[in-house]
Amino acid sequence: MREKMKTPDQTQFIRRIRTALGHAPDVTREARHLFAESPSDEDLQLQERIHRRAAEDRQALLERLIEAGKPINLNVTALPDVAYATAAILRLAAEKKPEWGEAKSIAAWRHPLIDRLNLVEALDRLQIPVHLTGPIPVDAGRAFDQAERERQRAEIIASFIGVTSADFCLADTATLVMRTRPGQPRSAALVPSIHIAVIHWDQILADMKELFALLRWDERYRPEGLSSYMSFISGPSKTADIEATMVHGAHGPREVHLFVVTE
Amino acid sequence: MSDISTEKYVEEAKRGIANTVLQKALVGLQDRFGRGTAEAYRRLPEGPDLRLKAHEIREKAIAHLDVLLEILAAKIRASGGYVYFAETAQAAVDYCLAVARRNNVRLVVKGKSMVSEEIGLNPALEAAGIEVVETDLGEYIIQLAGETPSHIIAPAIHKNRQDIADLFVQKLGIRRTTDPPALTQAARKALREKFLAADMGTSGVNMACAETGHITTVSNEGNIRMATTMPRVHVALMGMERIVARLDEYEIILRLLCRGAAAQTMGTYASYIGGPRRPGESDGPDEFHLVVIDNGRRRILADPQFREMLCCIRCAACLNVCPVYGKIGGHSYGFAYSGPVGAVVTPLLTGINRAKDLCCGETLCGACKDACSMNIDLPRMLLALREKLAYGDADWQVEPASRAEGLAYRGWSWLIRNRRIYELGLKLAAAGQQLLPQKKGMLRRLPPPVQGWTQSRDLHPLAEETFMERWRRTRKG
Ligand code: SF4
Repeated sequence: MREKMKTPDQTQFIRRIRTALGHAPDVTREARHLFAESPSDEDLQLQERIHRRAAEDRQALLERLIEAGKPINLNVTALPDVAYATAAILRLAAEKKPEWGEAKSIAAWRHPLIDRLNLVEALDRLQIPVHLTGPIPVDAGRAFDQAERERQRAEIIASFIGVTSADFCLADTATLVMRTRPGQPRSAALVPSIHIAVIHWDQILADMKELFALLRWDERYRPEGLSSYMSFISGPSKTADIEATMVHGAHGPREVHLFVVTE
Repeated sequence: MSDISTEKYVEEAKRGIANTVLQKALVGLQDRFGRGTAEAYRRLPEGPDLRLKAHEIREKAIAHLDVLLEILAAKIRASGGYVYFAETAQAAVDYCLAVARRNNVRLVVKGKSMVSEEIGLNPALEAAGIEVVETDLGEYIIQLAGETPSHIIAPAIHKNRQDIADLFVQKLGIRRTTDPPALTQAARKALREKFLAADMGTSGVNMACAETGHITTVSNEGNIRMATTMPRVHVALMGMERIVARLDEYEIILRLLCRGAAAQTMGTYASYIGGPRRPGESDGPDEFHLVVIDNGRRRILADPQFREMLCCIRCAACLNVCPVYGKIGGHSYGFAYSGPVGAVVTPLLTGINRAKDLCCGETLCGACKDACSMNIDLPRMLLALREKLAYGDADWQVEPASRAEGLAYRGWSWLIRNRRIYELGLKLAAAGQQLLPQKKGMLRRLPPPVQGWTQSRDLHPLAEETFMERWRRTRKG
């Protein structure tokens, strides 16, 4: 029952705006000049720069990322391969205490890089259950869909650690960029007290300019665009609402760990 | 519309000045953010001039508001969202109520949104028997205290940790502590339950992007991500001017927003929301609604003198440098928007005569313009408002604020052009001033009707010999 059509409130509203702007109320105005039909020179240069990035440039970006993480309490660690990431996650899972209740469990995305961590097996040694957030089958019917979603929601709420990857990471601001898709719920990076993200170092970009140049013009990313919900996450949740004192862990994760695999 | 108390400006300002907790907080706030923001602009690769570019981007968007809003609405609908265009505050509130009723909503979690304060959403939902919980920590504190925000970004700035400790003991039943991390943890726990139980989440919109069809929200706490992810329904409220055409333009606005609001290079969370949960996804709301709100903005749009004000992104940088806000605090402004932005926007939205003290109270020092992330010429508009108050204005239904003042200035202008009478007047005044109360060679009080002038300052008495007299005397000698 989606309202696909213009509604009367919209027609009236837009007419009034046109009048206020001094235009004829019923003539739709040209919009094309406001947008771009092809990438600008700057966009092309940015794309070029990203594609040409050599190992030493990656290294430099990684260092920028580590630096930018420090003032915002984001722990960034470079690791030579995924086995190290698994070990690091294991250590955190063993050391850290759950914030709500006693039992430890972990929610992890279904994602090619996260799958390679073999978390279910690895954490079995600590007897910590890992809930994988698989995509929900689209044609399985309403009741099944609802039940599956409720189950995943409950598992994520119960988990003290959420493990995700990200689409990109922006070095200048230490920002994880995540687009939402089936199997990769955004709540896994939000509801658990500790968020662990694992990325490959070729996912590091310099800044938002590079990101937007890719999302707008690169054929690999353009079709998906920003998805229905794109998140930027720069460090743990924080607030300064009580006497301007900085406190971490307002509503989102209290800790964020980023493991960058440099294989 | 929500409660408006702009008429109590003078009274509230006095109270603010007498409030020592507030005074201390304001000094701290302006010290840190005022300077921090200026420094953050300087460190931009493009330098502070990026603000001029941003101004251009916003002006272009405002000049094409009709086109951009239609594109945004079409894209959001194509992604399965609903869009409603509300001409008035009442229409916006009614729409939210209808959505809540249709979805059997009992509990609403709110992300901080100044436009929701502007339209008075909370009281309306509460009147309908719906529990409404503010989730930004500062907003939560003032909601528990039954107060209103006193700063756009730091709403509870007027409360210290002792106030908050007492409040939490009373309302949340915790053991008393004045430790900010422990207080934050208490609120985190209480609000987590609300987030997980809520049926509907509401948010504002920091900026929408027409090209991609997304609205964006920015926060440090993560409350807005919670409120837009966990409940079944998400309603976003957007002032109709909060849009830019392209993503690369949005990039500039976001960078300036984070710097203007909190001297940060990036807020912790920025979310780009284009519609509800999609098939196969396990979280996100079933329904997404965008409410685009006019509520008087159209009149601002129609007046070239004030159209510039629609470039504002409510970053609050102007509050953090304003010498007047820095003394009287946010409550004096009597509406959702305080400081220099409030002094211009509130008269335009709620009536220029009604909110006349706001624009007359500012000093025209120009600090706000230099601090403004969008480089908006607030002092120019303050003057334009004062002009309307001096002479009246039919388009804005402004009555001249004081006929007596107008007459007095006309009299003065006549007097100084008539030299003899002027000098005679000076002589009389010099003789008359002997009768006024004096202290340390200063006049303490002027007689009515000009007593206001000496209410908070002393005045130098007129010299015994005027400049002209002295001139004549020394030239002769
Ligand atoms: S007037 Fe400028 S500084 Fe003040 S809130 Fe608006 S954009 Fe920010």
